[in-house]
Amino acid sequence: MKPRPYWNPYAAGLLLGLVLLATFYVTGQGLGASAFAKRVVAMGTHRVAPAWTERNPALGHYVEGGANPLRNWLVIEVIGVFMGGFIGALSAGRLRATVERGPRISRRGRLWLAFSGGAVMGVAAGLARGCTSGQALTGGALLATGSWAFMMMVFAGGYAGAWFVRRQWT
Amino acid sequence: MMAILFPLDMLGEQANLLTAIVLGFGFGFALERAGFGSPRKLAAQFYLYDMSVFKVMFTAILVAMVGFYAGTAFGWVDFGRMWIVPTFIWAQLVGGFLLGVGFIMSGLCPGTSVVSLASGRIDGAVAFIGGFAGTFLFALLMDWFPGLQRLYDGGSLGASVLPAVLRVPGPWLALGVVVLAGLAFAGVEKLERRFQRGVAGEFAPSDSSGTEVPARPVSAAAARGRWSLVGALALVAILAGLVPVSHPPVPSAEVAAIEPSRLADALIAGEPNLMLIDMRNDAGGSIPGAVRPAPGMAAATLVESAAPGAEVVLFDADGTLTQLPGEWPRGPRYRVLRGGYRGWEQEVLTPKPLAGAPPGELAELQRQHGIASFFSGTKIEPQKGTPPPPAALPGGASKPKKAGGC
Repeated sequence: MKPRPYWNPYAAGLLLGLVLLATFYVTGQGLGASAFAKRVVAMGTHRVAPAWTERNPALGHYVEGGANPLRNWLVIEVIGVFMGGFIGALSAGRLRATVERGPRISRRGRLWLAFSGGAVMGVAAGLARGCTSGQALTGGALLATGSWAFMMMVFAGGYAGAWFVRRQWT
Repeated sequence: MMAILFPLDMLGEQANLLTAIVLGFGFGFALERAGFGSPRKLAAQFYLYDMSVFKVMFTAILVAMVGFYAGTAFGWVDFGRMWIVPTFIWAQLVGGFLLGVGFIMSGLCPGTSVVSLASGRIDGAVAFIGGFAGTFLFALLMDWFPGLQRLYDGGSLGASVLPAVLRVPGPWLALGVVVLAGLAFAGVEKLERRFQRGVAGEFAPSDSSGTEVPARPVSAAAARGRWSLVGALALVAILAGLVPVSHPPVPSAEVAAIEPSRLADALIAGEPNLMLIDMRNDAGGSIPGAVRPAPGMAAATLVESAAPGAEVVLFDADGTLTQLPGEWPRGPRYRVLRGGYRGWEQEVLTPKPLAGAPPGELAELQRQHGIASFFSGTKIEPQKGTPPPPAALPGGASKPKKAGGC
C-alpha cells in the first residue's frame, strides 16, 4: 500500500500548537519527552544503588521522599505520544519495520549513528533540563528566556554537525 | 477569574492519567502526520532542502504562544499559576548545542524518536535506547566531575520570560514573533526551492522507505493558508495587546540584595513577615524555612499568600539572580540573597576557624560558629552564645519541587 502523503507542515503545526495550548490550559505546564528516559533511569538506578541515586544531582529529585519516579504526568504523556505515533503511522499506511538511511551508508553505520546521537541527546537533555519538547517547544511558546537560547543553540549544533554526517542521508 | 481550567492537583488520579494519554496522543499524532517519524525528513532541515522542522515547530510555538499570552490578557488564564520553564542560561546554551549535534547524528530528537519507534523504524528504536544510555551517562558525569554542577546551575535566572527581560508586554512581543516568523516562513520556502534542485535525483524511490524527502513544493493554497494563519494570530495578539492591564505587575527591575549573615539573624529571630523562596531547580541542601514552588506553579504565586508588607527573599544556586524573574505581585518587599545558596554555605555554614583568632574577634567568631551549627544541625564546637531556638519559621516545610519539564 502506498503511504498517504504527509500533512502540510502548517496544518501539522497548527494541530501541534493546539495540543500544546490545551496542555497549558489543562495542566498548567507543557509537554515533554526526555523526562521519560530520566525517570526510567532513576527508577533503575534506585533499585540497584538507592543511596547513589538519591545523592545524584541529576536523578536524586525523581526519587526524593521515596516517590515512584514513574508516577508522573509526563511519563504517561510519552506513552500517549507512542500511541499517537503508532495510530498515525498505521492509519496512513506508514507502519513498517525499516532502517531509514541514504544509499551511501550501511545499515550498521546508520544504527551506530542513531545510538550515539541518542546518547549525546541524553547527556544534552540532562544538562539543559529538557529537550526540543520541554525546552524549545514548551519554553519557546511561553517566551522563557533560557528556552529561546536553547532553541537557537539546537539549530546551531545541527548545522555545525550536518557536514560531518551528510553521507548518512543522501 | 477562572484560571487554568483543570489544575492537575484538583483532578483525581484517573482523570489526570486520561489528560496525559489524550494530550500525549495528540502530540504523537501531530508529529507523525508532519512526517517527524522520519529521520531523513527531520535531518533535511539541516541541509536546507526540507525545512518542515522549522515550519511545524514555529507554527506550533506561535499558536500556543498567542493562545497563552492572549489568555493571560483576557483573564482566562493566570500567568502566575503557569509553570514557567526556569532559565539556566549556560546549561541551556551548552546543552542546546549538544542536543543539536545529537539531533543531526540520529536524525531524531527525544520526542520524535518515540514517534519513529512507534512507526516501526529500527533506527528510531535504537536512538530511543541511546537516550537512556545518555541519561545514565550524564548522571555518572555529574557524579564523577562535581565541577559540572557549576555549569548545570550556571546563569540561573529563575522563571525568566522575555517580556520581562525586554520590558515589552507579552502580547506585543508575541505579535513581533508572529510577524518575524511569518516572514521567515516565506524565506525558508525560497531556500527550500533552491536547495531542492541540489538534491533532485538523489532520492531514488527504492530507498525512500515510503517517506517524502524533499518536501512537496508549497502549493498556492498552502501559502494562502499559511498567511491566513499568521494574520489571524497577529490579529489576536493585537486585540490582547489593547486590553488594558488592570494590575500592572512589578517590573522586573534589579532588587536589593540581603547578606547571608543578615538573613541568618532574621531567621533565628523568627521574623514573622519573612518569606524565603528557593528558586533553584535541582540542588541539594536547603535553608530552613525556605519554600519551593509546587508542581505546576510559578514561584510568584507563593507570594500571594504572603502578608502585605512582608519581606520576600529569593535565592538561587550561586547568586546570579539579581532581578525578579517573571511578573510578581505588588505589595511585598523583594530581596535576593547575595551569593545565592553558595553564598549561604560560604558565609553562614562555614565560619573561620576559632584557633588563632585575635582575642578581639573571638566573641564574634564564637557567635558565628553558633549560628553555623544551628543551621547545619551539627554541633561544630559547643560554644556559649548559641542562639536560642527560633519560633516556627514562616513558610513551613519545603514543598516537593517540580521535576524537569521535558
